[in-house]
Amino acid sequence: MTGETMAVGGLRDPEAPAPLYTLTGVTKTFYKGRRTINAVRDLNLVIPAGDWLAVQGRTGHGKTTLLQILGGLDRPDSGAVLFGGEDIAQMREAHLTRMRAKSIGFIFQTFNLVRTLSAAGNVEAALIPLGIRASERRRRVSSALENVGLADRARHLPSELSGGQQQRVAIARALVKEPSVVLADEPTGSLDEHTSDEIVTLLEKLWRSLNLTLVIVTHDTRVARHAQRIGTMTKGRLTINAVNGHR
Amino acid sequence: MFFLSYLLGELRSRKRQAIVMATGLAMGIGFVITVTALSAGVRSAQGKVLASLYGVGTDISVTTPYTPTGFKQITPEQQGQQLDTLTDTTLGTLKASSVRTISGLPHVAAAAGALILTEIKSTIPAANAPPPTSFQPPVQIIVVGVDVRHLGLGPFAAAQVITGKAFAATQADGHVTVVDSAYAASHHIRVGSTVDITGEPFTVIGLVRQAQASNPPDLYIPLSRAQALSKLAGEVDTVYVQAATAAAVDTVTSEISRKLPSATVNNSATLARGVTGSLKTTGELASRLGTWLAVLVLLMAFAVASLLTLAAVARRGREFGTLKALGWRSRRISAQLMGETIATGIVGAASGIALGMGGAYAAAKSAPSLSAIVQTGNSGKGGFGGSLGAGGGFFRATLGGSVQTVANPTASHTVHLPFTAPVTVGTIVLAIVLAVAGALLAGSVGGWQISRLRPAVALASAE
Repeated sequence: MTGETMAVGGLRDPEAPAPLYTLTGVTKTFYKGRRTINAVRDLNLVIPAGDWLAVQGRTGHGKTTLLQILGGLDRPDSGAVLFGGEDIAQMREAHLTRMRAKSIGFIFQTFNLVRTLSAAGNVEAALIPLGIRASERRRRVSSALENVGLADRARHLPSELSGGQQQRVAIARALVKEPSVVLADEPTGSLDEHTSDEIVTLLEKLWRSLNLTLVIVTHDTRVARHAQRIGTMTKGRLTINAVNGHR
Repeated sequence: MFFLSYLLGELRSRKRQAIVMATGLAMGIGFVITVTALSAGVRSAQGKVLASLYGVGTDISVTTPYTPTGFKQITPEQQGQQLDTLTDTTLGTLKASSVRTISGLPHVAAAAGALILTEIKSTIPAANAPPPTSFQPPVQIIVVGVDVRHLGLGPFAAAQVITGKAFAATQADGHVTVVDSAYAASHHIRVGSTVDITGEPFTVIGLVRQAQASNPPDLYIPLSRAQALSKLAGEVDTVYVQAATAAAVDTVTSEISRKLPSATVNNSATLARGVTGSLKTTGELASRLGTWLAVLVLLMAFAVASLLTLAAVARRGREFGTLKALGWRSRRISAQLMGETIATGIVGAASGIALGMGGAYAAAKSAPSLSAIVQTGNSGKGGFGGSLGAGGGFFRATLGGSVQTVANPTASHTVHLPFTAPVTVGTIVLAIVLAVAGALLAGSVGGWQISRLRPAVALASAE
């Protein structure tokens, strides 16, 4: 199965899960001096709920831009990005911010933890915009840290944790709000091989147990192999070239 | 709780930046406090000088220029002579009816006349007496005739009775006197003592204390007695006027000038112009250079705080981008940043208050006392009334020869005032408000930058 156009234009399998994302004709262009960079070109893509999509590709071919468009961190120049039926490309900033707060979890290559907050504080930061009571926040933070095996590191600052532990905190932060989708940008890019395996195993476990939708951008084929579907971005175009189909 | 722990964590980790910002604000605020305290001290000194010129409660004083009478030759006689005269040596006189005229003007609450006199006691040696080996200067006593029905207006208003009592309204013609406590102490006078004024006995009914800087008179007596003793019946040399409202002072001043065209009419504004000396120089320095310097330093402190905050936002781009990715609204991130700047501002305010108080204390301790040169005689428009108005006459003597009395046509008086720099609660509140305003400004600048931060770009920025 190649090319996402079939999923958009074709008849949907009535047994198939409802699409979480539907991207139609999405294009994003950057201008760097006289150079024009077509980061994403006329992209059509359907991501069903519960899907694990791994996006591979060379640096500068639009993987991160695609992830940012999916996460509402950037807007396409043209095209529609339907998320749960709403076009986030046209959404007002405040609405988009609310949607990110509620439904989208992010994991970054460099963890992006607030260095002055403890592990628990970093996880709690994801619940702040949701207006959840402090006691409920504490309960959910403990549970999230336990899920990633860091219950005993709650009070540690990021600087007191290893790279793998910091990425676990970032995963807990992404999951604590029980999002509809987790978008991970090179989640193992800053980790050694062993730690990288641990993180991918953890993500797979959480994906299965929490019925997550997961989109991972990665260079690492070993990481991509765990995904349900694997796509490749080349010069802004996405081709789905492998479907594992397992859950 | 989250807000606080995030805030404290950031302040701890960015200690150097917080210290620089707090120090900048502290310096600005400290400078403002010091300058404000110095200005308050100068204002207070100016107020004391003006009050001493007027007497408390007076808005306008009316005098007439002194007309020099020239020399009065006293020829020594066969026997030695004792001279004892009570004269007006500094001001011209007005008809007492002027007081009634002024009282009847619109917007005038009250008016009272007074006579500021100098009693001069001297001994003239006999014509054939051998020349004295040393000159004995004449004794001069300042005697003020006050309207006993209006003691709250004019030279007696600033007097504080410490023993005995003040004049009663029924003592308008009485041979009674109230004595300045310093004069009383140096002359062993007590309540109940008798004091001779040009040979007439006056019973001391009270002792009063007054600011020595105001050069107070030695004796107060009822106005009618002063008029009789000085042979100025039906005349006064100063009319003290109280306007109905502060806003009416200028109108009343103009009206009096119209009614009494030959009189010199002064209110606090015209009076202040006649004060010179270091008090005036310091006042101008504090109000002009000091204020501008304080504003400049404060603006620089605000600018430094704002620039540091902008730099911090730029440095924390990825952190704020991450928070935006987590769904934090720009307003919430700005509030977090604002919390940090306000906390820094409060530290700056506390340090600034300490710095400012220290500065004010050091300035007050190290500064010399202020002097105000006050014109008290007849020099064109500058004829001031009040308790300082006396003391212009002096004797010129030639050894073994005649004695000449000379009226001093242009007397001036130097008042020395200790320099103070009071830091008031209002100043401290102002400092806190300024510090918080500076912090709010810096936080707002940072918040504005945060609101413009695109999450995708912020996430790509280096930490």
